[in-house]
Amino acid sequence: MKRSTLVMAAVLAALLLLPASLVFAQKVLNFGLSGNPDTLDPHKTAGTLTFQTLKSIYDTLVEPDQEERIVPALAVSWTVSADGLTWTFKLRTGVVFHNGDRFASRDVKATFDRVRDKATASPKASEFAAIASIDTPDDMTVVIKLSKPFAPFLAVLASGWAAILPKSLIDSGNDFATKPVGTGPFVLKEFVRDSRIVLEKNKNYWIKGSPKLDRIVMNIIPERAVQVQGLISGAIDAVEFVGPNDLSVLAASPDVQVDKVLSALIQVMAINCTNPILADARVRQAINYAVDKQTVLDVAYGGGRIIGTFMDATNAYYKDFTSLYPYNPDKARSLLKEAGVPADASFTLVLPSNYEEHVKAGQLYQDMLTKVGLKVNIKLVDWPTWLADVYTAAKYDFTVIGHTGKLDPDGTVGGYGNKSKYVRWDNPQALDLITRAAGTIGYENRRKLYDQALEIMAKEVPFVYLGSSFRFKAYRKNVTDYRMTPKLDTFDFRWTDLM
Amino acid sequence: MIRARGSGSVAFALSVLFLFVLGAAALAAPWISPRNPIAQDLPKRFSPPGRDFLLGSDDLGRDILSRIIHGARSALLVGIVSVSIATAIGMTAGLVAGLSPGIVDNAIMLLMDSLLSFPTVLLAITVVSFLGYGLTQVMVAIGVIYSPTFARVVRAETLVIKTEEYVEASRALGSPMGKVVFRHIIPNLLGKVIVQASVTFALAVVVEASLSYLGLGMQPPAASWGLMLKDARNYLVQAPWMALYPGLVLALAVLCFNVIGDTLSERLNPRVGR
Repeated sequence: MKRSTLVMAAVLAALLLLPASLVFAQKVLNFGLSGNPDTLDPHKTAGTLTFQTLKSIYDTLVEPDQEERIVPALAVSWTVSADGLTWTFKLRTGVVFHNGDRFASRDVKATFDRVRDKATASPKASEFAAIASIDTPDDMTVVIKLSKPFAPFLAVLASGWAAILPKSLIDSGNDFATKPVGTGPFVLKEFVRDSRIVLEKNKNYWIKGSPKLDRIVMNIIPERAVQVQGLISGAIDAVEFVGPNDLSVLAASPDVQVDKVLSALIQVMAINCTNPILADARVRQAINYAVDKQTVLDVAYGGGRIIGTFMDATNAYYKDFTSLYPYNPDKARSLLKEAGVPADASFTLVLPSNYEEHVKAGQLYQDMLTKVGLKVNIKLVDWPTWLADVYTAAKYDFTVIGHTGKLDPDGTVGGYGNKSKYVRWDNPQALDLITRAAGTIGYENRRKLYDQALEIMAKEVPFVYLGSSFRFKAYRKNVTDYRMTPKLDTFDFRWTDLM
Repeated sequence: MIRARGSGSVAFALSVLFLFVLGAAALAAPWISPRNPIAQDLPKRFSPPGRDFLLGSDDLGRDILSRIIHGARSALLVGIVSVSIATAIGMTAGLVAGLSPGIVDNAIMLLMDSLLSFPTVLLAITVVSFLGYGLTQVMVAIGVIYSPTFARVVRAETLVIKTEEYVEASRALGSPMGKVVFRHIIPNLLGKVIVQASVTFALAVVVEASLSYLGLGMQPPAASWGLMLKDARNYLVQAPWMALYPGLVLALAVLCFNVIGDTLSERLNPRVGR
């Protein structure tokens, strides 16, 4: 009796240990993700988190490297005609899609035709509007002709929304939203909404020796405190980002490394210029004088560098206008008086309740504006409401948000000066400069135009330009080479390894 | 039996005392708070409990004690108003259902039961998203949500009371229906309603805190226990007092209402415990 029990126990133990040892032989990275990608189809979304996730599944023709240069990816080289209208790409040979298809020029053409197709309804379709035609003279060459010079073109091709899909599956109407197939370093194994995304290594990836991980399990954990505790306990190896408030807790853990980098975010308080009082530039300037930018940046966002115009602090096109409206509450009060703001005027500050940093910043702004005599009421809304009512319909007076970094300055300022943007700021001169800059080739030539446009934006202040905040990347110390793409703040696991 | 009654009395007395103090503090909030509950003192963020801040300061350097005292105002206000709404709706519906013929009775109770079948917070969110965010909306929402429990209690009591001999006697002597209802039925079911009210009060305080926690109730920077707990959850390790004190007061308030409800239910209900 006793012996049989022992034998049974031994067999059970062996059975339990066997799969465990198999798992340990594999390199599995447990990643903490703050939410669900809205889709896995790169052509049907504008969500930052979605593009961050899809970076591991799809590739683009070109991509930004760690130094912010645009370098070859699925294209090995490219040339531009002197008039800037004809772009010729030589494609990489030996690249294979997850379904076994060989990557060729037909896939590039089919992909960009799909993005531009009205039926796809890509929110990023306008960025491809300059394309006049796409030719495929041979399997490994793509010639794209533009209808007008479009400087941001290469940056568009390097963005997540220009991910290359296989022609055969586009033709057969594959549902990429749930069954993504790309050439990327990892293959989707499963996506359980609100739980996890499991990615398996693509053994045929075109970069030799990459990826190093066998599997990535992206655990969807909306609560940041839970992510932080997971990092400390070792249940999570790396997270998307942590907040400034988590730093003291993480610093106490010897196993966790936190890297601080200046993000490409543009943190702002947007001002609705259709409000009759806020339409007066003096009132908007007064609001800028009333805000102690460094304090808001430190308390709400964990520090960063203050800015004076609508461009991130580390951008090549950034120009410093921070001395225009320094913190000066007295000046703010006298300007408000001069503008004749009625004493009983009250404003609504709409905040997206899911972003705690913005909610906190909002309370700081409210306090500072109250001190110069403006009555401001806070209204919290959920994210879909914010997108619909504030960003699309402009039903607000003030709001707090962060604009994500873009590879090309046109991605940031494009369209401003036109009343369609959510600040409803109307300035034909700025709009003209910005539009011309997008059609101008060469950094120096473009810079001259952007300098002027950014100066107008800095003086007219349809925003309180707060600054570019720090981003805190946290991972356990056995994780090596966990990279973030500059500007896009996208995680890149191709070189990541576990020790 | 006597000892059990005795210990119950002590808990009852303590509960009444705590709620009395809380109510008095809420009424006198502007005069007794050590500081302005929304005034930010940024250099003194995360001060632990001490001389400057009796119960510590929060992530924007606001005084926790002052925020708890002002938060009691909204919590108790929500409790009083929403329980009144629930009682008014619930009693009317329950009385009408209890005194009406089957078809009306069934229709009313079907409506009430269908309200009851929704999860409370989900229903509250639905009501608030229709009416908009804010304290008034929250009070209406909670009032509507808890009216079915009152309706059920009142209907059940009405069904029993209307067949009592003294009611039938009164009817037989020719008293009009209205007089019977106000003279005999309502006074006899008030005990049950009061018990239900005190229990509902506790639930209302919790729902208010939940809705504020979700950002649907009081809007920042106003002081509300739910909002305080929401702010606190990111600093559980760094500044535990931010969660501890508002959480403690909320839990105690709920406990006290429940103790009072239980004790009253023993004493006011002639069929149990006597």
